[in-house]
Amino acid sequence: MNRSLTKVLGFALPWSLTFLFVWLFPLVYALVMGFTDYNLLRPDEAKWVGFQNYSTLLADPDFINAIKNTFIFVLGTIPATTIMALIMALLVNRSFKGRGLFRSAYFLPSITSLVVISLIFTNLYQRGGYIAQLASMIGITVPEYGFLYDNATALYSIMAMDVWMSVGYYMLIFLAGLKSIPDELYEVAEISGVGYFRKLFSITLPLLKPVALFILVINTIKSFQVFVEIFVMSKGKFDTMTMVYFIYEKGFTTTLQSGYASAAAYILFIIIAVFSIIQFFLLRRKEPLW
Amino acid sequence: MNFRIRLDSKQQKDFLIDRISGIDIFNKPMQPPKQMIAVKQALYALVLSLTLFIFSHADAVTTIEFWQFWTDAEIKPVITEIVNDFEKQNPAIDVNVTDLTWANGHEKIVIALASKSGPDVLELGSDWVAQFADAGHLADITASTASDSAQFRGWGLSTYNSKIYGWPWILGTRVLFTNRDLITKAGFDSVYHPINFTELKKAVYKVDSLGKSIYGWGSNTAEKHRLYKKFLPFFWSYGARLFSDDGKYCLIASDYAVDALKLYKELHDSCGYVADQRGIEDAFLDGKIGFIISGDWLLKRIEQEERKINFATTLIPGTKFPGKSFLGGEILCVNNASEKKEAALKFIKFISVPENQLKFCKANRSSTPSNKQSQKNEYFTSNPHFLTFDKQIQLAIHPPVDPDWVQMEDIIERAVEEALFGKDDLVAEPLRTARRKIEALKNK
Repeated sequence: MNRSLTKVLGFALPWSLTFLFVWLFPLVYALVMGFTDYNLLRPDEAKWVGFQNYSTLLADPDFINAIKNTFIFVLGTIPATTIMALIMALLVNRSFKGRGLFRSAYFLPSITSLVVISLIFTNLYQRGGYIAQLASMIGITVPEYGFLYDNATALYSIMAMDVWMSVGYYMLIFLAGLKSIPDELYEVAEISGVGYFRKLFSITLPLLKPVALFILVINTIKSFQVFVEIFVMSKGKFDTMTMVYFIYEKGFTTTLQSGYASAAAYILFIIIAVFSIIQFFLLRRKEPLW
Repeated sequence: MNFRIRLDSKQQKDFLIDRISGIDIFNKPMQPPKQMIAVKQALYALVLSLTLFIFSHADAVTTIEFWQFWTDAEIKPVITEIVNDFEKQNPAIDVNVTDLTWANGHEKIVIALASKSGPDVLELGSDWVAQFADAGHLADITASTASDSAQFRGWGLSTYNSKIYGWPWILGTRVLFTNRDLITKAGFDSVYHPINFTELKKAVYKVDSLGKSIYGWGSNTAEKHRLYKKFLPFFWSYGARLFSDDGKYCLIASDYAVDALKLYKELHDSCGYVADQRGIEDAFLDGKIGFIISGDWLLKRIEQEERKINFATTLIPGTKFPGKSFLGGEILCVNNASEKKEAALKFIKFISVPENQLKFCKANRSSTPSNKQSQKNEYFTSNPHFLTFDKQIQLAIHPPVDPDWVQMEDIIERAVEEALFGKDDLVAEPLRTARRKIEALKNK
């Protein structure tokens, strides 16, 4: 073996070992576990059950409900987060007094602990909380026992918090995208007498396409994996059970059925993979997306 | 050890020999200084003696791991004090204490036991004992309890398949808390307490009619591990049972059970301040609720927060006075994989002696130690609220000690949630669904 190859292997070794033992091994182990009736308290008694976990899952009303709620969460939060982040980035990209303060203020929730934010919002959403009082003042009917204790509002309340929390982070990414657009393009447009909206739709948005798609991909993956908010705010009650919370509950709290939970995790993995592949396909398209 | 200097050329050697007055150091080994030799020898001796000390000490001292849930600033020092006292009395045993939280303690214990590691002594909530015992993770301590069994109560919480898998430490039940000021305003005597469900309902409605921000009843929301503890006292007090005597049939949808859930739902819908346990207690302490079901931790809160609430504690009403309540507790168990079972049991017995249970209860304001001798102490007998808890515990029922109980509990909670918060105004149907699920679970 020549010296340069040894060096290359030496440098790659730490990452390769981490990948093998911390990522690949659990991934394969979970896949195998999904085909067994592995119970966390009885690991020695695990038996091969083939696709039984998958067929049971697809007939389990709780799991179907968790998939439904997860899709509501993903499809509800992603457009709202992306559009609001774009609008805010366009606003704070302009030059005005106190611009830095606005940028920092919008970004602040992104660097705050999700658990802390969830606890604050749990209080805000409760019966007689500030949000209920504000809503009552402007004549909106509020749930009798609080926003998180009502099947009709609990999930949407958590989604609203998630949008509020994430929007600043994606705004910053959009802002970076806006900064990378050459000023010359706007100067030419201005000389040609083009208005604001024409510039927005003909220059800004087309050039922001890669950034927007990047945001879509990472936000989709993050949203499919929603867990902490549910754990802290509702424990999956009031129709807020999502897929990851379902996996956690089956695997670690009530039944300790790790095999069943692993199969559910692989279904989630497939869903995320399909969405990511579609988004990557869109990212590679040559023709304009809008 | 020899020290030699290597020089490559003869010229270099000659040069140095000349510089150090003609002594040829190159053909003679250099000796290290005497002080260095002495330091080295001392180091060898130190390492040797340390090794000997460690090995001899390791033989003499057994270290046991104890996982427990009490992290409160007032209670933790008492746990530490009890552990220190134990170590003083048993110099051959060290105890390492690890604190868990109720939020994720169960998961940590599951993972530790699954990996065949985990502590030697572990505190478990009574609902978990059967699950771990059935999987073979808890040591059978039946033989060790024989001489002490009469001095303690709560063995039923840790008895599974006629074997004892844990030592009852602190027991817990729920009683009825009444706001005396509100019931007086509602036209009752200040010492009035409802003795049956009919009277309770009447009093709850009357208090509820006092004003828009006053509620007759504190009702739990869909709160995991808590809701069923509030419903089951109604369920049992109506005479309903979860299983037939032979354990073959689930009776959760009996007429008694339906009546119990109907009343629970009526209080919830008509007069209920609905929140999580903490929220209900906050509202009760703020004088907004007439009646709530709670545990002795509320007494501690009232004392610690110096609340001026005028309240009473009474037994849970029944169809005929008195009613049944929920019984649970903290159980001290020995890990079946532990190699220090004897030391672990010795420690458990030490924690459970009357003096140590008293110390703990005083710090935690717990009303119901498992040790009967401890319960006779003036600290408990002179406090009227503690006496209520003591009476109620004698009329309390614990859920079945069943490895599937955690799942059954979830099923029962879902049925109650469906009745209280579901779209349809049904009571019997959610209970029938629960029965089907529990039977499917038992027949799996």
